[in-house]
Amino acid sequence: MPTDFPILTLLVFLPLAGVLALFAVRKSDELVRMGALVVTLAELALSVWACGAAGAGAGAAGAPAGFFLYQDAQWIERFGIRYTLGMDGISLVMVLLTSFITVIAVGVSWRGIKERVPLYYALLLAMESGIQGVFLGLDLFLFYLFWEAMLIPMFFLIGIWGHGRRVYSAVKFFLYTFFGSLLMLVAIISLYLRHGAQTGTYTFSLFELIHTTVPYGTAIWLFAAFLFAFAIKFPLFPLHTWLPDAHTDAPTAGSVILASLLLKTGAYGLIRFGFPLFPEAARACAPLIYTVSVIGIVWGAWIAFAQRDMKRLVAYSSVSHMGFVALGIAAWSPVALSGAVIQMVNHGVTTGALFALVGMLDERTHSREIATYGGIWGKVPALSFFFLLFCMASAGVPGLNNFVGEFIVLMGTFKVAPGAAAGAFVGVVLTLIYTVRLVQEVLFGKEKKPLELADLSVREGGVLAVLGVAAIYLGVHPAPVLDIIKVPIALLTGVK
Amino acid sequence: MSVTDALAIMPILIAAGAALLVLLAGPFLQARSISWIAVVAAAAAGVWAVVYPAVGATVTLPGLAFTGLSQFLIPVFSAAATLTLLLSHDYNQRRGIKGEEFQATVLFTLFALCVLACATNLLILFLAIESVSFAFYILVSLDLEREESGEAGLKYLLMGAVAAAIVAFGISLIFAGTGTLALTGAFAPEATRPIVSAGWGLVVIGIAFKLSLVPAHLWTPDVYQGAPAPVAAFLSTGSKVAAAAFFLLLLAFSRPLAEIHLPLYLLSLGSMVIGNLAALLQKNIKRMLAYSSIAHMGYLALALLTGSREGYSAVLLYGAIYTAMNLAAFGAIASLSGAEERGELTAYTGLGHTAPFRGAILALAMLALAGIPPTAGFLGKFYIFYAAIRGGETTLAIIGIVTAAISAYFYLKVVVQLYMREPEGAAPAAPHQGTPAESLALTCAAVAILFIGIYPSPILRVLDAALR
Repeated sequence: MPTDFPILTLLVFLPLAGVLALFAVRKSDELVRMGALVVTLAELALSVWACGAAGAGAGAAGAPAGFFLYQDAQWIERFGIRYTLGMDGISLVMVLLTSFITVIAVGVSWRGIKERVPLYYALLLAMESGIQGVFLGLDLFLFYLFWEAMLIPMFFLIGIWGHGRRVYSAVKFFLYTFFGSLLMLVAIISLYLRHGAQTGTYTFSLFELIHTTVPYGTAIWLFAAFLFAFAIKFPLFPLHTWLPDAHTDAPTAGSVILASLLLKTGAYGLIRFGFPLFPEAARACAPLIYTVSVIGIVWGAWIAFAQRDMKRLVAYSSVSHMGFVALGIAAWSPVALSGAVIQMVNHGVTTGALFALVGMLDERTHSREIATYGGIWGKVPALSFFFLLFCMASAGVPGLNNFVGEFIVLMGTFKVAPGAAAGAFVGVVLTLIYTVRLVQEVLFGKEKKPLELADLSVREGGVLAVLGVAAIYLGVHPAPVLDIIKVPIALLTGVK
Repeated sequence: MSVTDALAIMPILIAAGAALLVLLAGPFLQARSISWIAVVAAAAAGVWAVVYPAVGATVTLPGLAFTGLSQFLIPVFSAAATLTLLLSHDYNQRRGIKGEEFQATVLFTLFALCVLACATNLLILFLAIESVSFAFYILVSLDLEREESGEAGLKYLLMGAVAAAIVAFGISLIFAGTGTLALTGAFAPEATRPIVSAGWGLVVIGIAFKLSLVPAHLWTPDVYQGAPAPVAAFLSTGSKVAAAAFFLLLLAFSRPLAEIHLPLYLLSLGSMVIGNLAALLQKNIKRMLAYSSIAHMGYLALALLTGSREGYSAVLLYGAIYTAMNLAAFGAIASLSGAEERGELTAYTGLGHTAPFRGAILALAMLALAGIPPTAGFLGKFYIFYAAIRGGETTLAIIGIVTAAISAYFYLKVVVQLYMREPEGAAPAAPHQGTPAESLALTCAAVAILFIGIYPSPILRVLDAALR
């Protein structure tokens, strides 16, 4: 591969280019599905290819330390805005997750989406472009552009193909995140102006802005604006109320992408921008983040226990699991932060799989109520097996992926904030309780109603098997991922 | 008038000549040919302004010159007029608006707008802006068959006449205080400052009417609702940009005075807050867009009151972007309307699926107005708030941003109607087929929205030259 090959640009815009290809074959739904699958697979191949560059280990020319792929070009000279994309270990992991989950999202939509198929897949691909842009943009303006642009496809996905109060949920999702982002925009602009006044160069480049001297009193406000925007996406208690609605009413693939990818953009933003830009303010806010994440972990688990709707249950479990990520970020030690990144991946895989499973059950019986099911183990063994597997993963059973993330986060946090780690542990216990109850009522127990259930089709089995392999692999052998993120995390935390 | 002079003010001559030609030759030609003549002439004026090389050359004409500002404004005005003409031909036929006077009046408006962009003299400037208003009184009430059009025209005329009188008095006071009519930066001596600031006060009031800033905004929803949709498109873009340009040109005449800061502050605050909140309550799309226009003018005022170069630059850029967004929005409304105008929001249910192209344009316009990237609406808002924060207006900027977040709700409401609602009861009437002219106009507006949003460097360069 030639060194000046714009692989990052391709990563960001390949799915968007795929939209044009879908437009060409829009008359046939089957071709559109195939096209979307081909594009997302190509994107996945491209992401895997990018791993090769990571393996080579060399830094890209002109790139900041830790970035092995880098691209930088003039964009809007007038404001010193540059088109800067860069990939370090953390970005790579997130990009891989995005490409992987989008393939899954195409897979789970195959039969479920019957109306307006071309538009649906076009939005799915546009969404992927936006998310990849968020994970790769290093110019704050560029990042912000992707950050907001990715809201639009999700808004349509929920609003058009959702269930229940889909319009309400779509608008609520949009307004919540939009509002938070706008305050971040103010903070970005004032940081930009401050940096320009200090150095004479007006730039949105992250690695220039990092050196801005901001008085503590101002930094707190600016960090608060960033934190607010990211905490809504995260979502951190008490800003999480959009999430259960959006997840519940979204189509299956929408829930998968929301949970597995969109929530991660909030965590990623905090790691890449929030903490490095305002280290002091971030440290001062750490107790606050500990508190809200522990509340989120416990509260999310508690509320999940009370849910009768499986999708809502998984949604609240997301609030709980993402609390661990926030906890790890707040502790900001190499161990805790690695745990947070690993947990992001794990949550993406596990929760994505659970949403896919609930979607498959819903497609069969048109019910997501726990009360509908019971004793399906004997009827649909393959589906039940995966259900059990991912529920165990979600509960943090050792040997499966979530255990690794939660364990590392707790280990890292315990050193810095033992109280918070102890609180989070309560959440782990509660998680175990509600997942066991879910498994017990749905898979085992008595059959409540006679249900016509078909077991997994090849497509569904394939989707779940791939996710299952990922869950087990990450559970028993997380070392490769930890290796990839080691360098950037050492650079971020300043600990070698 | 020498050849150089004629070349410099060619856009003005083209617009005026074409307007006269249309009026004179109109009775002998088909409606379609008239429309095309008008479209070509309006576009030619803009193209000429873009390619004309001798910007800022000395001309011997009194009160006119082709400046960098003209080079920025004339293409914007010309684009607005061209797209309005493209959109109105079929719209007028469907609605039974007959006669070549429509095209002629649009061209006359363009003529006045071009004069305004080239004005270097206070009197010319005043005459130009009032001619613009005058032409719009006619355009708004040109739908003779419908009462609401006449009513809108009358309301607009009464309000406009009052505003004109106020502006005229303000200008005469400024003249009395400075003793010159030339817009060349003759600053007022300290002794006459009270007279000049009284003059500025009146000008601000008059401008508040023209930009429909709160509390001088009450005419706007009625006029927008009553006017034919393409005219509303032209009115909400051409006349607003003209008023903002008028204000900027006056500022070149005398330094921004500290006294106008507070009134502008209040006007901006009121417009952003009340405009956006009132828009939330609207059920008619044109009224909603009217309140949205009030809010957007509040953002313009926010940039104006910084009194900085960046602020003025932001005003001009936003003016251009707003033109593209509103032409797309009203253009889609015009194209989706049949003999009866599609006013109520509920009449748009499902149109995103039944009329995909125009539905998408309307949705794009809404997302742009809400300021969502990668549309130009985001870049415009970004520039406004950037200029405001840089100019020290952080509090008002934050208030503005919060209102902008609220505004997303009513813009999304339109998108929701287009794509996500099932019709209650009878489905809204299927729209007629879009015509090529309409599609051309809508495509142009959409391309502008996306292009400026993604790659604004070229327009920013022209803009920097305009304010030099």
